[in-house]
Amino acid sequence: MNWKRYRNELIVLAALLVAAGAFAYKLSRHTSMAKSNQQMAKELAVLQETVSLKKIWADKHLTQKVDKLRMLVPAAKVTWRRQGKHLSATFSDLKSSEVNMVITKLLNIAVQVEKLKVTKEGDHYRVEVKCKW
Amino acid sequence: MILIHRAMERCSPDAPVDVMLTPQFYTMKRESLPIKYAYQAKRIAPSLFDGLLDEDGKYDFFVFKEGEAWVFIAYDPDEITTFLESKGISAQMVSKLFFAQQSAHCFKTPVRLGEREALSLVDGTVVVVPVTALPETVYGSVDEHCHPSKGVRLESGAASWLTRKQAMLLTAILLLFALIWALEGRRYGTNNIVLQEKLDALYEANPALQSAYARESVASKYRKIDQLERRKRELVGKIAGMIFKGVTVTHFSLEGRKYTVHFLVSDARVAKRLEGLIKRAGMQKSLRSTSTEIIVEGSL
Repeated sequence: MNWKRYRNELIVLAALLVAAGAFAYKLSRHTSMAKSNQQMAKELAVLQETVSLKKIWADKHLTQKVDKLRMLVPAAKVTWRRQGKHLSATFSDLKSSEVNMVITKLLNIAVQVEKLKVTKEGDHYRVEVKCKW
Repeated sequence: MILIHRAMERCSPDAPVDVMLTPQFYTMKRESLPIKYAYQAKRIAPSLFDGLLDEDGKYDFFVFKEGEAWVFIAYDPDEITTFLESKGISAQMVSKLFFAQQSAHCFKTPVRLGEREALSLVDGTVVVVPVTALPETVYGSVDEHCHPSKGVRLESGAASWLTRKQAMLLTAILLLFALIWALEGRRYGTNNIVLQEKLDALYEANPALQSAYARESVASKYRKIDQLERRKRELVGKIAGMIFKGVTVTHFSLEGRKYTVHFLVSDARVAKRLEGLIKRAGMQKSLRSTSTEIIVEGSL
């Protein structure tokens, strides 16, 4: 076969192959970049979620915040027992407004509530709390 | 290199050959023009031959510089191809085409073309003259020294689907696209800088979370706590929303995931309204409930 006869076609074919190669290169880079960006976005989402959850539930100032609960009602009404990051407290003879305040404040602190018991005793309430952080 | 003239013998080369055309196959003009480049000269070539060429012919032009003057040559590729084929030389067997004028110095001594004609140099122009007009009896020949450096390629016509011009145009377009795609591909190589910067900043602040395993483990631990604690807080919120005039909570306990609430109601109308609220909150009234005390039990 005389290749010289098809010189023009061969030149175009070679250029076509180069263009096809460049297109395949572009596609592969695009796919790999999209994949990598997707992975990065996922990693970032998990990381941000982890950091924010840790910031909420492992707050270093939680102990101080929990201790403030004790000051909400007169000391005579509180039985307070805190050991490290565990609290067991009983609030007695509380008026309904005090119950609301104690529970609202408690639930606004990022502690893990193990037990929350509210009992009506006559006109007053008794609140038992067990939590950890 | 084969010298092509009307009186030549038939020949059948078995390998591609260069051919040199005698003035029988081209029209020549020599002009001194203030032109610097060959492409500029080639552009004006058609206008120089106005009225000189056969109107039916389809001419191409070849230009070269001879001393200070430009030499313009007009030739008909179809006519040349037809003639060559009649002499047994197919267009595909022609490597390059040259013109006798390009090697004018070779014709200072006339070169014989058949029995009656010869190629000779007259006033610097290669012309075909009758042998009888020449005083010489010694003739030269065309050898390798007469091979010009620049020639033209004869389009192989029917054998090729594309002309050289079309091929070059297509090639240029395809290579341009190839370049664009390659550059685009190269650009895709760089990751999302904003995402990377955010990740780097977070890792720098939390080096313990750099391991994917540690990250997943910490995330899973806090996710569970978050989910459960949010439910507990939502439960208290819902119960608080059920307290209105005529309803008193006498007991509430939440231990682990289990909860119990005792509501004391003043009358049946209040009880009915409370039951509606309980139902709407997705909770269930216990069977232990009475007409004045509604008990709700459940698990988170």
